[in-house]
Amino acid sequence: MKQLMLTMIVGALFAHSAQAADVPKETMPAAMPAYAKDKPLPVPHIGKKTLSNGLQVWIVPRTGIPRVDMVLAVRDAGFAADDAKHPGFAELLAGLLNEGTAKRDSRAIAEAAQGMGGSVAAGASADGISVQASALASQAGPMMQLLAEVARTPSFPDNEVALAKANALQTLRVSETQPRFRAERAISRAIYGDHPYGHMTPTAEAIESTTQELLRGEHAKRFRPERALLVITGRIKEADALKLAQKAFGDWKASGPATAEVPKATATAKPVHLLLERGGSVQSTLRLGSPGIAATSADQIPLRLTSTILGGGFSSRVNIKLREEKGYTYGASAGARLLREGGSIVGGADVRNEVTGAALTEYFNEYKRIGADLVSADEMKMHKRYVAGGYLLSNQMQRAVANTLAANWLVGLPAEFLGQYVPLIEKVTPEQVRDVAKKYFAPENQSIVVVGDSKAVGEQLKAYGDFTVTDK
Amino acid sequence: MRLRYLPALLAGVSLSLSAAAATSDQWTLPVNVKKLDNGLTVVVSEDHSSPTVGVSVVYHVGMRLEPRNRTGFAHLFEHLMFQGTPNAPKGVFDRAITGGGGRNNGSTRPDFTNYIETAPVSSLEPILWLEADRMKTLDFNPATLKNQQDVVKEEIRVNVKNQPYGGFYWLDISQLGFQKWENNHDGYGSFEDLEGASLDDVRAFHRDYYGPNNAVLAIAGDISPAQGFALAQKYFGGIPARPVPKGSDFTEGLNTQEKRIEQSDALAQVPAVAVGWKVPDQGSADQAPMAVLSELLAGGDASLFYQSMVKGREIALNVQGGFGLTGPFEYGGPTLFTVFGLYKPNSSADAMLASMDEQIAKVVKDGVDAATLKRVKTRMLADWNNDLENILSRADTLAKLQTLWGDAHVVNKVPGWIEGVTSADLQRVAATYLTKANRTVIDRKPAVKK
Repeated sequence: MKQLMLTMIVGALFAHSAQAADVPKETMPAAMPAYAKDKPLPVPHIGKKTLSNGLQVWIVPRTGIPRVDMVLAVRDAGFAADDAKHPGFAELLAGLLNEGTAKRDSRAIAEAAQGMGGSVAAGASADGISVQASALASQAGPMMQLLAEVARTPSFPDNEVALAKANALQTLRVSETQPRFRAERAISRAIYGDHPYGHMTPTAEAIESTTQELLRGEHAKRFRPERALLVITGRIKEADALKLAQKAFGDWKASGPATAEVPKATATAKPVHLLLERGGSVQSTLRLGSPGIAATSADQIPLRLTSTILGGGFSSRVNIKLREEKGYTYGASAGARLLREGGSIVGGADVRNEVTGAALTEYFNEYKRIGADLVSADEMKMHKRYVAGGYLLSNQMQRAVANTLAANWLVGLPAEFLGQYVPLIEKVTPEQVRDVAKKYFAPENQSIVVVGDSKAVGEQLKAYGDFTVTDK
Repeated sequence: MRLRYLPALLAGVSLSLSAAAATSDQWTLPVNVKKLDNGLTVVVSEDHSSPTVGVSVVYHVGMRLEPRNRTGFAHLFEHLMFQGTPNAPKGVFDRAITGGGGRNNGSTRPDFTNYIETAPVSSLEPILWLEADRMKTLDFNPATLKNQQDVVKEEIRVNVKNQPYGGFYWLDISQLGFQKWENNHDGYGSFEDLEGASLDDVRAFHRDYYGPNNAVLAIAGDISPAQGFALAQKYFGGIPARPVPKGSDFTEGLNTQEKRIEQSDALAQVPAVAVGWKVPDQGSADQAPMAVLSELLAGGDASLFYQSMVKGREIALNVQGGFGLTGPFEYGGPTLFTVFGLYKPNSSADAMLASMDEQIAKVVKDGVDAATLKRVKTRMLADWNNDLENILSRADTLAKLQTLWGDAHVVNKVPGWIEGVTSADLQRVAATYLTKANRTVIDRKPAVKK
């Protein structure tokens, strides 16, 4: 039932099994067969073209499943573009795109997509809005038209805006009851301060003050061909895909001024200690965090591998320690989050009340250890192969390829990064891992957020600093 | 004469067009099945588009067959399968998979427990060796049992006890909706039962249910059937078959009286309702129509429930449907079609039920128009393919279908079953299964703050 919960709970990364310390790490059973020779890393061909209006189009033809996937990624349109009074606005904007266009109402859009065997919907991230569409291969043309229709001509009907606002307010109430939501919101604020990256969740005031006028104005500012990328993957020929893109987006023009560019995020922050009160909670939700780096920074490659070793999978150090050795948690993780203008270092786990303090000690011990001692050759090799395997496994899915390309582009990485990533990871040395770990996972730089019952865990936290107890 | 032929010609044109469309959207999976002498069934599906494989080992045992005073045992046991063997001590399993570039997981359901790995094909032999190794025996010891009892308790805390709604739409509704213990006990388990599990329980469960003759191994990806069968023989062929206890009869008929309760939720801020109806037995002629009906009613933004409750009356925040914890073709005993939704504080469970009933009644009375039926089926067929794109879920689906249906080729039959469903079928199953008498309802309300 490990995997089972993954279907229910978004973001539950850890669902399952084992790794131990009582076995020397390098030991493998003599009877177990060796890995066979690795096959060469396939790098997909990416056809690239820029339309005359500035829209970039990347096409990855595939021969598998009879489906075509499309992602229209729009840069500087995400949470970082939201004004201070409207944190989280980008999500409302994205959500309303397929709730009505100049030609169709929301039901007609949903039914049209259903009839093509697919869907069209948008979501927001820190650095952009991505409109995703997919359809049966035979329906690629009509779906491209529908994608363009919702991205270019949303009408933000009054009734849909009112409904979206009412539902967003209710959804916020639901989210507030989830400890992970509160923990993430608080650690982001601690890390990024006043930068927009620190304020990506909505407030009731922001939702209530959203109007049709604001939505229309922001759509015009944010949705612009010269700031957008269209990725097309699947059972379609490159030339055909390009024709569809030209037909649906070739005459797309921006009007009026664009949103301002997002400033660089802070690289340092004074650590804070927060205990978010949750009376009666049977677990503490922990987050440790500090400023990190942008996705294009020089340290990004060694930092990605360091994150994998320290907290990126079942066999990562913090998961082995907190789950498999101590039995404190269902899963523990830690690592870097890389955005366009900055990033963060975040670790976290849900642990039972009695071991809240002890879990923090284990976290900091692992942070210190990886910043002090060189990772063994075998552990380096294991995690490099884990990264390479992840590349192969996600590339077999055409939707994942489309999403990865779009997400990379939003944070400033080129199309070629897809194929360069694994070879670059393979070059990382143990010294580089130690050095970036020391730099970014230094325990004294980490803010600590605990969502839990202060009566049950407050005493244990005293050893880790003065905690401000708050309801938010 | 000419005029009379015109419609026929037009029909011919449209037929050939739809035939062309059908061809370009068609996708048939290669399925090869072989049974080893020890009873292990092996399924191989070849696909060389990526140098990777998916592996699934499905054991035909789940929550329904766990011991009576050991609720949650099947799931606890699943965790223990990762805790090492005399040949591969604790830690080796994950390290070998990770070091091979792979991912692994497991899950427990009422009718089966699955163990899944996906990795570059260079890791296939170590994966098969590890799976065969833990099919033979485990390292039964008190330390790993205690460790995983703690981990499972944390899993239940994080997913049930510390969460608003706490999974009531799959845990509590099954407890209420079914009569027999096999179907209605808490498969996640009580802490008391989990703590009471002994090493003897672990040994007995492994001996009884984890033999090769109670398992299916499926491999999908960069491998030929001949290679797959040879490797299965090499690693699993020497494991002797073991007797499997005869399970109890857990069948039960449809409910004849509505069940309804109200629950209080200390962690929730917004009320929610879950409604479950018992569905047709596996293999029934009503199964595919029920699947299409569930999609028509609760499958996404175009569905009747979404359009009537989230849109339309605007009484719900969201609404979603499902078949217990599996899909409409992946259950082997009594299961519920469950609809779950958060409703607005100024609405009520009664309003939600009335809205659902209204949509169901429309289907019973008028069926569904041809255009809508076609749309719904098109999306279902596309989704069926989408779920099989990932070679891991492909292997896992094949292993589950072979386990539950005794026939992995069902993977290529389901599209035809869906295609064959008519409006009259939907009317029949809506009238038979989605009745008030067969309905179980939980109204979950935020606790009143003192």
